[in-house]
Amino acid sequence: MSIAQDFSKGIMRENPVFKQALGMCPFLAVTTSVENALGMGAAATFVLVFSNFLVSLFRKVIPAKVRIPSYIVIIATFVTLVDLLMNAYLPALHQSLGIFIPLIVVNCIILGRAEGFANKNKVLPSIVDGVGMGFGFTLAMVIMATFREILGNGSWLGFNLLGESYQNQPMLIAILAPGAFILMAFILGFFNIMEKRKRGGAK
Amino acid sequence: MGEILRVGFMLMLVAVIAAVALGYVNSITSPIIAEQKEQAKLDAMIDVAGSLASGELTFDSLSVPELENPYAEVDETLAVVSVTDSTGTELGYLFVAYGKGYSSTVQTMIAVNTAGTVTGNTVLYQQETPGLGANVSNPARFLYQFDGLNASSLLLSKDGGGLDSITGSTITSRAVTNSVRDGLDALCEAGLIPVSGGAQ
Repeated sequence: MSIAQDFSKGIMRENPVFKQALGMCPFLAVTTSVENALGMGAAATFVLVFSNFLVSLFRKVIPAKVRIPSYIVIIATFVTLVDLLMNAYLPALHQSLGIFIPLIVVNCIILGRAEGFANKNKVLPSIVDGVGMGFGFTLAMVIMATFREILGNGSWLGFNLLGESYQNQPMLIAILAPGAFILMAFILGFFNIMEKRKRGGAK
Repeated sequence: MGEILRVGFMLMLVAVIAAVALGYVNSITSPIIAEQKEQAKLDAMIDVAGSLASGELTFDSLSVPELENPYAEVDETLAVVSVTDSTGTELGYLFVAYGKGYSSTVQTMIAVNTAGTVTGNTVLYQQETPGLGANVSNPARFLYQFDGLNASSLLLSKDGGGLDSITGSTITSRAVTNSVRDGLDALCEAGLIPVSGGAQ
């Protein structure tokens, strides 16, 4: 598989959220606004790239029997390092992303890629895979957040789209948890129909 | 047996390297983080105190306790500092209100003048639901209503007062409102500001 394919598969063909149904927890929890979605996506991409790099680098050293605990330790250590360094040197960014960073440890996309790709592949493809999957995750989050923010708050990325009168009486359920599940069902359904059509056409 | 030891040793090695790396980075970053928190608090104090009067103001640093977790209960004893102008006249007070919100203890810094009227406020810390209660940090969504009020009028419209809560975030709005009112009541009991409503 070429480097370009390693990158592009994460965005559509193997999109972590739409195709692999991974990372559902942040996908539901953090998509209340586009700004949050972008922040979580950026932070997760960052950690994903570095955890893929380290796991791939040490894939021959770590014994197979303890690989999962080793990956968890690597990921958790890396997330904590990012949290501490960002808090110390980029306080403004930490202020807006702070609550999402500890959540990255439990994002199963990171462990999924460590186990599913990085421990079988060389360092460079693993890094590219991390970037691609991170982009795909961010894209999925932004699509979901676009629906939720416009319906639930009348705005997009903070810009007021639907006016003051809508913001005072918005479709609040879109921002609350049940709305997240309902919208997720629609979005995943849409992608499944697309997939079916494509397969039907290829027959 | 040898296999178990070898595998266990490798896992230990991974954990030890991780612990050393974390300990080292933490020792470098923790003083910087503490300094930044202090600076952020001072900036907030200068900002909020600026609502009492323009010109040079003097006040002591307010001690804001470090919370162990976002939901920590805070001791009820109220830390207050008085704000004076360059001639030494007392203009008002700064204090921090702690309100138990939906998913965190919301800390709000309040400036109140000697007549008991809120003149300025800012949220120091909150971990409320993003997109809902977290909007409390945006002054234009809720806290702008506090300026010019005294303890007797700090009540949500749902509780019979005149303040509009943030849509979908009544718990957060109520926590902040009630904690600020409790703070003002405590100042009143301490004799620092006149009895609620007496300013009118």
